[in-house]
Amino acid sequence: MHVKIGLEVHVQLTESRTKLFCGCKANYRGMKPNTNVCPVCLGLPGALPVPQKDPLILGIASSIVMNCRLPGKVVFTRKHYFYPDLPKNYQITQYKGYGTPICLGGSLRYLDPDEWEWREVRISRINLEEDPGRSVYEEGGIMRSKYVLIDLNRSGVPLLEIVTEPVLKSAREARRFVEALLLTLEYIGVTNPRLEGAFRADANVSIYGGERVEIKNIGSTLDLEKAINYEILRQEKLIEFGGKVIRETRHWDPIKGVTRPLRHKEEESEYLYMPEPDIPPVPIEPLMKEAMARLKETPWRRFEELSSMGIPREQAWSLIQTRPALELLLMAIPLGGDPILLAKLIAIDLKGELKKAGRNLYHRDNWPSPKTLAQISKLIDVGSINYDYVKLNVIPKLASNPILSLEEILPKGKANPKKLAIIAVNLSRKAVKDYLKGRKRALEYIVGVGVSMALSKGLSIDPREIRNEILKLLKSNKINI
Amino acid sequence: MMTVTEKLRLISKESADIIDFIEEIFNNIKRCEPKVNAYISLDSMEIAIERLMNSMDKGKLSGILVAVKDNISTMYMPTTAGSKVLYDYVPPFDATVVERIKKDGGIIIGKTNLDEFAMGSTTELSAFGPTRNPWNLERVAGGSSGGSAAALAYGGCDIALGSDTGGSARLPASYTATYSLKPTYGLVSRYGLIPYANSLEQISPMARSVEDLALLLEIISGWDKKDATTLGLKRIKLTDISPADLKELRICIPLNLIDIAEKEVKREIWRFIKRLETEGSRIDEIDLAWGKEALSAYYTIALAEASSNLSRYDGILYPTENLGKNYRNHVLLARKKFGFEVKRRILLGTFILSEGYKDRYYVMAARLRRLVRENLMKLVTKCLIVLPTSPTLPPRIGEKIKDPITLYALDIYNIIANLAGIPAISFPIGFSSGLPIGAQLMTEPLGERKLIAAGLSIEELTGLRGMVADAC
Ligand SMILES: [Zn+2]
Repeated sequence: MHVKIGLEVHVQLTESRTKLFCGCKANYRGMKPNTNVCPVCLGLPGALPVPQKDPLILGIASSIVMNCRLPGKVVFTRKHYFYPDLPKNYQITQYKGYGTPICLGGSLRYLDPDEWEWREVRISRINLEEDPGRSVYEEGGIMRSKYVLIDLNRSGVPLLEIVTEPVLKSAREARRFVEALLLTLEYIGVTNPRLEGAFRADANVSIYGGERVEIKNIGSTLDLEKAINYEILRQEKLIEFGGKVIRETRHWDPIKGVTRPLRHKEEESEYLYMPEPDIPPVPIEPLMKEAMARLKETPWRRFEELSSMGIPREQAWSLIQTRPALELLLMAIPLGGDPILLAKLIAIDLKGELKKAGRNLYHRDNWPSPKTLAQISKLIDVGSINYDYVKLNVIPKLASNPILSLEEILPKGKANPKKLAIIAVNLSRKAVKDYLKGRKRALEYIVGVGVSMALSKGLSIDPREIRNEILKLLKSNKINI
Repeated sequence: MMTVTEKLRLISKESADIIDFIEEIFNNIKRCEPKVNAYISLDSMEIAIERLMNSMDKGKLSGILVAVKDNISTMYMPTTAGSKVLYDYVPPFDATVVERIKKDGGIIIGKTNLDEFAMGSTTELSAFGPTRNPWNLERVAGGSSGGSAAALAYGGCDIALGSDTGGSARLPASYTATYSLKPTYGLVSRYGLIPYANSLEQISPMARSVEDLALLLEIISGWDKKDATTLGLKRIKLTDISPADLKELRICIPLNLIDIAEKEVKREIWRFIKRLETEGSRIDEIDLAWGKEALSAYYTIALAEASSNLSRYDGILYPTENLGKNYRNHVLLARKKFGFEVKRRILLGTFILSEGYKDRYYVMAARLRRLVRENLMKLVTKCLIVLPTSPTLPPRIGEKIKDPITLYALDIYNIIANLAGIPAISFPIGFSSGLPIGAQLMTEPLGERKLIAAGLSIEELTGLRGMVADAC
């Protein structure tokens, strides 16, 4: 292949209870500017960074889930650069030479839903580091704004910098990798990728073994695909017209949909890496047990589990994408639901209705209870309601009001089983013949016809009653064939 | 002048009034402070007494007046680090040591002068003017904790805090005939200490007697959850120690290092060693061949850390009167306010960490530091190492300031303890033409009890305790 792509993905540990080196919150969203701060994350002189347990555990768990070789100790390093939203003007991070990264090399194994193939992408390292604050530009962005506002609520939030080897071969593949990465980290409780700013990616793109170009500041997986495709095209055109790709850093402009070179000055940087003297190396061993406890669930293990139940792969894929849906399924099965039926109901019908209604699929309260789903599954199973009826009448009601009970949704009136039995028998002549010839299973078909009749009229029916009535009819020899 | 321990004894027997002691100290301040310039910020006597009355905390320092070096954060007084960059900066938090002193009833009356960001050995490099030596106003008080040492020496406080990065507390103690103890690295929390060289420095008690040093160190020592480099131990008990038997002492003297001292210093240190020998101490001669290289390693590490620590002063979170045209310009304006020596050290530190030079300097220094530590560990478990605290008598004001290499060399005896992270106690041993001369003992990590025990008997031997200068 002529395209080589390596990624550097920054993922915030949004689910950590604290920032990396102080007790402030890791999820700062919705807070007033500069209220989620303390002397440590403001970088005030004399305040000292103290590594917090929660982000360390999450970092180690991430490292383990990517099959990484772990260092004995986590070592932090200072990386210096002046920037308005970096209060110490150095970032505490990790660095090969002077600090040991939290992952010394590993790989992520995931399913690519485009080809339904398992892939394995090599990770060269993962750094655990602090996020800087935020620069907020007013009046038309960085180029035109007369001033910049600094919000340090984000300063010190734990961040994973995940670096892949240049093994991805297309923009699509790169996007699928990042989606898989985020899903994996979501499952082990590290991040919520749907939060604004929860991740950013840089992509290194080279074609025909030429110089690599780094594209910085890509904020979504969709943009990642677009930016890389744009860059591949740009490089191809450049070569086609006799140009040469130079090694440079470019910026992705999501609005215009182009990559643009950074001014030369911004590129030159001497980071003066130095071991962080305020933080002694943190041994990993004492944190391993708690990190391992996080790894009970991965989307990939779940996918295989669902597949082994006979659930079609598209549905299994859809289920693992939305954890509340997956959990609903897994909780409804032990209550007596049928896995294949439930998967279809949840992954296709319910999810579809919820989407149509514009509900947040990741909010557990927007989904009905496992008990309700299990009941529906059982009723369909025994034939007292049919699937189409559920799909058309029950699911939309549950989607708009998930706390409704089945009693409230299902038909009120009761059908007369005697009358219904007569109609059912008359409508099922072939089945009746078969039954009388001794094919006992034909009875179920006749019962099913009766039940559907009742439900189509909005009436409820106990399948055992109609079954009895039909049997009586069949045995009474009153049937004209 | 009475030591803290003596005062506390009288107060507890109710045979003395705290207020009289406080008055005595403020009288000294009134007389000497205009000439000496020991304090950057200072409370009035009325405020000190009010604090005493309002203080709910009664403890081992009740009614004792404490001077704190102005690179240690206090919420109720500016903390300037002797720099224009932090001119009006009032931290929103107290250093852990300040919290602990307050909790034990100590009354912090002022913040003492220092070389800007503790970078210096004479307290001449402060944005607030030099501190003079109360024993001879033409001389420096040493540095960088010169303000604390001078305040002690003229009786302007009971007890004081300094910080010791490479002798910054011991050197001024020796120039002012006072005492200081640089603790084992990690024994005292650095939370709230404005950093100069994080891996080397410790907040250090300063006093007019060994007993007072022990009292203050006992209060400020011990693990702190806010400082990841503190050792995992509770406060160490230091106030129950009896003087060591001098006959049991084993002393090692590094001949090659003593050799480079000025002749007055050499004469006093040898006299002191001979006295110990007469008392029955065992004296062994040793050679610390790496002494001069250690000084280079020390400065290499200190300057690298300093340049990194000081990068945060960009005029954004700290008081600024002028706003620059743009970010770059604003940062440059703010950083112009650093003094010359600070700028020099930032430049050197940046150079040391640059690609292409880092291996030759920084990495090499770190390796040398390990070797020094390993070599010393073998020695300090066997004997107490004795050295002068300074190779020279207190220099005249302005004498050394122009020549950085000579200035840096003042620290040669002191940096050893900081490089290795071991404790060292400095104490007065005599005078030469009215100028104090000090010596120090070093021992193994967490050997503070040994140093206090030896210090107590040496103090008895020299009789130089509770001294107050009379030049002002
Ligand atoms: Zn904080």
